Amino acid sequence: MTARPLRFHWMLPKAFEVVDGQTPRQAARYRIESIRIESPSPKPDMDGWLRFARHAEDAGIESVLISFSRYEPEPFLVACAMGQETARLKYIVAYRSGLMSPTSFVQQINTLSALIDGRVAINIVAGSSAAEQRGYGDFLPHDERYARAEEFLAAANAFWRNGHEVDFDGRYYKLEKGKLHTPFVAPDRRAPEIYVSGHSEQSMRLAAAQGTCWLRAADTPESLRPSVARMRSLGVDICLRACVICRPTRDEALRVAQSLLPDDASESTIGLKNDSAMYAESHAKNEWLSRTIWTGLVPHYGPVWTTLAGTPDELADLFLAYKEIGVNQFILSGWPEAGEVANFGAQVIPRVRDAERRRVA
Amino acid sequence: MSGLRFHWMMPKGGEVSMTTAQETSRVATTKSDSPAALPDMQGWTRFARAAEQSGIESVLLSFSRYEPDTILVTCAMGRATSTLKYIVAYRSGLIQPAPFVQQINTLSGLIGGRVALNIVAGSSTAEQRGYGDFLEHDDRYARAAEFLTVCKNFWNGERVDFDGAHYRVDGGRLHPPFQAPDRRAPEIYVSGHSPQAQSLALSHGTAWLRLIDTPEKLAPVVAPVRARGVEVCLRLCVICRETRDEAIAAATAMLPDDDTEKQERGILQRSDSQTLKQALAAADERGWMNRNLYAGLVPYYGSSSITLIGSAVELAEQFIEYKKIGVTQFIIAGWPKLDEMRIFGREVLPRVRQMEGS
Repeated sequence: MTARPLRFHWMLPKAFEVVDGQTPRQAARYRIESIRIESPSPKPDMDGWLRFARHAEDAGIESVLISFSRYEPEPFLVACAMGQETARLKYIVAYRSGLMSPTSFVQQINTLSALIDGRVAINIVAGSSAAEQRGYGDFLPHDERYARAEEFLAAANAFWRNGHEVDFDGRYYKLEKGKLHTPFVAPDRRAPEIYVSGHSEQSMRLAAAQGTCWLRAADTPESLRPSVARMRSLGVDICLRACVICRPTRDEALRVAQSLLPDDASESTIGLKNDSAMYAESHAKNEWLSRTIWTGLVPHYGPVWTTLAGTPDELADLFLAYKEIGVNQFILSGWPEAGEVANFGAQVIPRVRDAERRRVA
Repeated sequence: MSGLRFHWMMPKGGEVSMTTAQETSRVATTKSDSPAALPDMQGWTRFARAAEQSGIESVLLSFSRYEPDTILVTCAMGRATSTLKYIVAYRSGLIQPAPFVQQINTLSGLIGGRVALNIVAGSSTAEQRGYGDFLEHDDRYARAAEFLTVCKNFWNGERVDFDGAHYRVDGGRLHPPFQAPDRRAPEIYVSGHSPQAQSLALSHGTAWLRLIDTPEKLAPVVAPVRARGVEVCLRLCVICRETRDEAIAAATAMLPDDDTEKQERGILQRSDSQTLKQALAAADERGWMNRNLYAGLVPYYGSSSITLIGSAVELAEQFIEYKKIGVTQFIIAGWPKLDEMRIFGREVLPRVRQMEGS
């Protein structure tokens, strides 16, 4: 077991999701329905986001992940605006390779880093549904997207490793004497952390070759153990995405979980949002994988809705069990986000930190 | 008839605190240890406040591999200011139109719609190749036209289907809208002197942005552009002093040393931009283009340093001359950055407004 403390990140809520007095179900429904054309979520919501950011910073959350899709504001810009008005919180910006030249991408990320004291990391997604990608002008077949993402990150890393002159001659990208004067600016790094998401073998290879962290949906510690061990041995961090429901008693947590199930048992947003392996191979059934890991929402909304539910002690134990097998980071969600993050900071993180201190001592 | 619109060049990083013109030449910007490589929020915010106080409507942020990204800088600056607008230079060919529109729309929502675009088809071939762009000059304009067509379709709010030589979009849809009090899409300035640039401005722009020339030379080219409903915006520098002689002395004092001159000429000659070539040719003939328009700084500070020189009254009269031939906007630079803009706001602008009203 490593001595490094677990790192906890959170999802940035959708715009106008952070309002007072919401039930967990109302908050979750807002998230699910944010892809509808009538949702207010495509417009930036600085007031709500800043309120959430203050809760997150107070709770001891390190970063927020800002997702990328055609339904929401663009993550680099949101991170730039948020970073101006927060002091500690970091921003993990999601981006899809294939939409922009690696040179321009690095220029934007470096500029962002200089504007917000280096508080930026990248989450590279090889691509989403074929339909959404074609709407962005990307017609590459699904299987080639990882090969392209690999080239994209290799070119970007070349800029970060050697600022002087980048020549790259790949199948998807070609650069001749690429040069950027604006460096990545951070107190402790010369390049951003790079989270590569996915469940496929390709995503693992890409994370190992070009990333710093493999990001995937939570599963049980037992089923994750082999792939986590393999990735850690390659020097890659492991970060799990999950939802959290923490309540004083297990019964209360279970009641909240049940309340999130849709009225329409056939409701699904999966096809709309993703046709990736991560979605195809995930748990398609509503079940408890263990006493605290519930997949009731996964068949409807995908694997990132895998839910960790229980009391503060149960959840702290679960996070330590993940740590035991080598997982070192988490990106969490909750319903409502602001309430759950405050709760998590007050109840779960202190228990995890206590245990980490005891085990080190 | 509405009032002339005055914009200013955003200084490079570190430039606001520089006191001499020589420090701020193009050569200095392209050096790898130049402060221009980093954002300068402190200097820029000071500059932006002075611009707002001086009656300047927008600042133009230039795009190059030597400087921070314009879209991100605009986001940070826009959050730190309240009325100033930002004209963001960006090159087509570096990003797909859909994510570009998504960035601009998000930016508009974050800064109250205070964003316009200056679309540049490309710069030197060498710099473009570093960005992964291997098209030649003429093809870049064809691609820029497609790029702006796709962007406009997104701004019209329709499902976008496009099948061009350079871009293809199938079922494109973006939920984030362009957000501004009075517009559903940004103003688009298209710059360049070539026939391709002019035709792109006419077909896809709201304004044609070009270098200043004398009113006589510009009159015949401005009229047809205005007739097509497109505005004309001139790039120039300004040196305003109490008397014409003092202004000329200030211009003369800017001539740099030999070493800088050689490097500057080298940069200009390597470029394949029509705009630069024309301006350099003008400068080779003789310095003065008329009583107030001086091209003598071009060999040292680049083609955009054609300078309107004179007293406040002379300059105000010159701006009115341009207004008479149909020019509606100006993007100005001066040295040092802050001082010249303050003089302009205090001495020239009120006289222009007075003449416009009479």
